[in-house]
Amino acid sequence: MSSQVSQQDSVEQSVRAPAGTINVVDPNPLNWLFITWNTMEEPVRTDERGHIVGAVMEDSRWLDDTTFQVDVRRGIRYQDGEDLTAHNVKRAFDEVQRWKVPHPPGTSLNFHPDATAEVVDDYTVRIYFPEPDGLVLGKFRGMHVPSTRFWEEEGFGYTKNGTGEGHW
Amino acid sequence: MIDAPGPWGSGPFTLIEGYSSLENEVAMIDDRPLAGVWLDTNQPRTDRLVLEANTDHWNKERGPRLERVVFRNDVPYGKALDLLCDTEGEIDIVTEVDPSDAERVQDSEHARLHALDAMRIVTGVINRFTDEVPLNDVRARMALNLAVDRDRLVREGFGGYAHALSGLTPPYAGGFSGAEPYPHDQDEAKRLMGEAGWPADRPLRLAATTDVEPVANMLVEDFRGSLGIEVELTVIPDEDLLVAQHALVEKVMPLPFDVLVHAWIDLNSDAPPAFIHGAYLAADGPFRAGPPIGEFEDLMGAFATEIDAGRQAELATEIDRYVYDEALSVFLVAPQALYAVNRHVDFVGYATTFELAETGVTDDHWSRRIGG
Repeated sequence: MSSQVSQQDSVEQSVRAPAGTINVVDPNPLNWLFITWNTMEEPVRTDERGHIVGAVMEDSRWLDDTTFQVDVRRGIRYQDGEDLTAHNVKRAFDEVQRWKVPHPPGTSLNFHPDATAEVVDDYTVRIYFPEPDGLVLGKFRGMHVPSTRFWEEEGFGYTKNGTGEGHW
Repeated sequence: MIDAPGPWGSGPFTLIEGYSSLENEVAMIDDRPLAGVWLDTNQPRTDRLVLEANTDHWNKERGPRLERVVFRNDVPYGKALDLLCDTEGEIDIVTEVDPSDAERVQDSEHARLHALDAMRIVTGVINRFTDEVPLNDVRARMALNLAVDRDRLVREGFGGYAHALSGLTPPYAGGFSGAEPYPHDQDEAKRLMGEAGWPADRPLRLAATTDVEPVANMLVEDFRGSLGIEVELTVIPDEDLLVAQHALVEKVMPLPFDVLVHAWIDLNSDAPPAFIHGAYLAADGPFRAGPPIGEFEDLMGAFATEIDAGRQAELATEIDRYVYDEALSVFLVAPQALYAVNRHVDFVGYATTFELAETGVTDDHWSRRIGG
């Protein structure tokens, strides 16, 4: 049985193993964001047609009008080997909440300044809003969830500018 | 944004060389509640930026399918298109292809053109702050919309690679009202503008940034021909763009236009009012060019706090319909995103982003033939 499984894994790997190099020229002024989205993940991403789908977030629900619960996907690892858990999601939320205008497109992507996050367990995060936020999923698209090492060594503008304002 | 390479994320690719960053300065709309945006002042990028496949990525079905992606930031657009269309092994994808170059890409033996319905719009921002002209009158705003020949705009301005707008929501996005675009009706446009009382001898002041100058030139013809009034076009030089952006966002000085041709985007296609309608018309909108509108604010407030997805979608439609009925903008087009792609690249494009997880290459691609 185990031999069959590993044979199947091997076939899948040969089919799906990354191959080839491409050279790209991208004059789009949002290239900085596209590089971030190719290398980091957020609770959600968009599919080919632009619809929001889960990424780091496997599922979510409103527990009441102001409490939003996120189920963090299991089995995600950062490129440096760290496991991605609810603690990383809370860290990302806490970091973005430190700044008044963190996102280049502006404050329309902000969460309410009094919103807070709580780790329920390793794969569950709850966000408490002072008022209902029907736009939370769209805002999640701008909440990158990087590794602990990123926060410690780089941050969004922390090392370069000494602030995260305008640099998410 | 990421200023240095490193294994920082969990995404399909790892940034192993270079950076693509942004320098910007803030423009505040309001302080209570706080509302502001950042305006680009520079986009520093290394000449080369390299992404390498994250083979440990959790979503194997998605990718990555490429081993390596090299962004050649040292190659200008025109040269890149030459290399892609005329050679093989130099450039594999060029984004933001101008519609005027589309035919050349299609005719190339090396390249393919990919045209994607994207969350992009070009619209005419109507200045409702001024009392000099009757742009607070819905008849005048409807007249502007009826004056535009959108079919010609799509055909001649965008080479057919655009959709006519009938609101601020592209017809393929969530919350589309289903309305038909305003027809090109010169007689009705002139009648309505006459009723609204456009002052004699007062030209319509049209402004545009250089990226949408061809659109503005076509609008000059449409407004002149349909409305029977003179049109003065001001194209904002690139070196003056930052000052003009501050003026529009901060709304302290009188705005020097009646209609501003403006391009904008959305980051997803599910809830356009959050990023498009709000930006143009809400009290905290950076591109709002007029006093806040009570009914619109009420709709947006209900939309933003609605946590039932179905009801929120209904409100999104209601908002787009309201904007259409009140002709709160000169609705123009939703341009497609055009990509020139090497014929041996299996390109998977997106409506709102440029991500390459699903994109791969065939066995005949140059990098496979040389073992890259």
